[in-house]
Amino acid sequence: MTRSTSSEFRSDWVSKTLAGVVLGFTLALALSGLYALAASGVHLSERSQLAMWATFPSWMVALAGGYACRSGARAWLLLGALNLAAWGLFFLLRLP
Amino acid sequence: MRAVLIRHYKSLHTWTGIVAGLGLFIAFYGGALTVFKEPLTRWASPPAAQQTEGLQTLFDLETAPALIRRTLEAHPEVGEDFVLHLAPGIHRPSPLAWKRHAGAADEHDDLTPKHYFALPAADGYVEAKEGTVSKVGEFIDVLHRVVGLPFDNNLNRIPMGIIAMLYALALLSGLVIVLPSLARDFLALRLGKNLKRMWMDVHNVVGVASLPFHLLIAVTALGFAFHDGVYFLQERLIHGGEMRAAFAPRLPAADASTDLAPLIPPAKLVAQAKALSPTFEPERLHFVRLGSPRAMVRIWGHDPTAHSPRAPGGFLALNPHTGDVLTADYVPGRQSRTMSLVASLFALHFGAFGGAPIKWIYLFLGFAGAWLVYSGNVLWVESRRRKSSRGTGVEGPAQRRDVRMLAALTVGVCLGCVCGVSFSLGLSKWIFGWVDDLLFWHQAGYYAVFFGAIAWAFGRGAARASIDLLWAAAVLTLSLPITSLLGRAFPTTGFWGHASTVGVDVAAIMLAACFAWMAVATRRRALTGPKDSVWSLAPQVLLECPPDAAFEPAGASAEVSS
Repeated sequence: MTRSTSSEFRSDWVSKTLAGVVLGFTLALALSGLYALAASGVHLSERSQLAMWATFPSWMVALAGGYACRSGARAWLLLGALNLAAWGLFFLLRLP
Repeated sequence: MRAVLIRHYKSLHTWTGIVAGLGLFIAFYGGALTVFKEPLTRWASPPAAQQTEGLQTLFDLETAPALIRRTLEAHPEVGEDFVLHLAPGIHRPSPLAWKRHAGAADEHDDLTPKHYFALPAADGYVEAKEGTVSKVGEFIDVLHRVVGLPFDNNLNRIPMGIIAMLYALALLSGLVIVLPSLARDFLALRLGKNLKRMWMDVHNVVGVASLPFHLLIAVTALGFAFHDGVYFLQERLIHGGEMRAAFAPRLPAADASTDLAPLIPPAKLVAQAKALSPTFEPERLHFVRLGSPRAMVRIWGHDPTAHSPRAPGGFLALNPHTGDVLTADYVPGRQSRTMSLVASLFALHFGAFGGAPIKWIYLFLGFAGAWLVYSGNVLWVESRRRKSSRGTGVEGPAQRRDVRMLAALTVGVCLGCVCGVSFSLGLSKWIFGWVDDLLFWHQAGYYAVFFGAIAWAFGRGAARASIDLLWAAAVLTLSLPITSLLGRAFPTTGFWGHASTVGVDVAAIMLAACFAWMAVATRRRALTGPKDSVWSLAPQVLLECPPDAAFEPAGASAEVSS
């Protein structure tokens, strides 16, 4: 992201909140999938609990971080891109 | 850019705090008390000691097999789910207890089912006696879990989850605000003339100092609210549909042979748990599906050398017919690294580690959390204060309507919760024996006081109501130890005061003293503090009034409570 001084910072409360709640959550799910893959040596009954709990810190950080974007549209773009990357990596790693 | 961002996060902090703050106050106050749910329950329960002689032998593990056998003969349905307590408690007439749900059971609902105890009858049979173990501790816990709502069910966990999200946002945005000046301002307590500055400094130092606790509570609260949904999605998207099977690998199929070995005596089950972990201290045996191939006993207890995986402790699950270990994943101190890590989240939420000192620290942290959200609301009010201006000669200008409203709501909800909890606790002794459905009265009493306090705060205005309600909180809280004392001195009152719960009474005296001190301080501030404040009792005058109206007699034009 380039920051030009000409573009104004927009509050966009509704848009940023929705982006963080929805895309932040799907991003957190993808990250929890990556943790689960990294911990594949741990029995599933334990790994799944770890993955469940791991969802919430990343979700909240994504939600809170989204407000730092310069506009709601940028929050959707950024979180959308991170979602694509994380889910892409997850399915790629799970392929074989 | 940085300044813009910080201003943006300041708005986020303010509004998430204002929206979630009052619910969080109830969660913190109720949660702090829930740390001591067990002693509170005992305090509120009448002595079940009519059969004191024989009670010791009843709790003797050697007699347990006979008690279980006779109970199941008389009430075969009890085998589906019952508990055998290992130690006598003043509120328990018998070690063997079970509960019956009136309707569909929610796994987290321990409030509505009726509890029964198995009492040996003269003819060798067992009589089911409805228990008098108080539900008020559980009710306070439920208030805490679902932020002030009366029942913990799937629907009420949604508002709880939303409040937890707002809470997490308030914490993270608060962190963003204080980080740039943290090194400079953290311990800068500017005590002095500028009250708002002082409240802000204390709000910051309490918030930063207890931030790890709050982050942990926020994350775990989100988990408690949303785990079902997250598991559901992760099972499909991540675990490939294999998770459910992974959880119960060692239970036999439901149609396995029903040709079962006899029940292993409880003494041997306890010995098996002690053999697995010598530091584990078993407290009760929870039997389910007895007499079926999927029978299970969970041996619950604590380990003073380890953290507990759940609020009531940890457990070893055995097949009570064969002695096979079903799961040892929840035995405190004997968990795998992963399970120990997951368990630490629970233990850190409940304060279920480190024994009594940690429980007192958690009580204090809970009260501090309640104060944190309360002070946040106070700061919101103070930031929107209309200052008196010497030029117009108006000493106490009327405050904005929304500011007066929020001040009244803050006082009403916070002190209403405090008063309601004390009143509901007192009811357990005052109306025991007079009414059938004690739980209903605990709830009705709490909500009557809670909504009454809110109405009072709006009717009288924040300044007056805060003094009134603090005195009410002091009196209601002090009534608890007085009731215990009366019960001990005059048993004919029908009250009681257990020697084992004197700690509850002493804590109530200290709490009542705090409320009384706060009432005195609030009154002093209302009378002698700055007059241009919603907390002042000085007459306030509408700024919009024409200048000459400002000189009308005090109170003639506008009151705080108008």
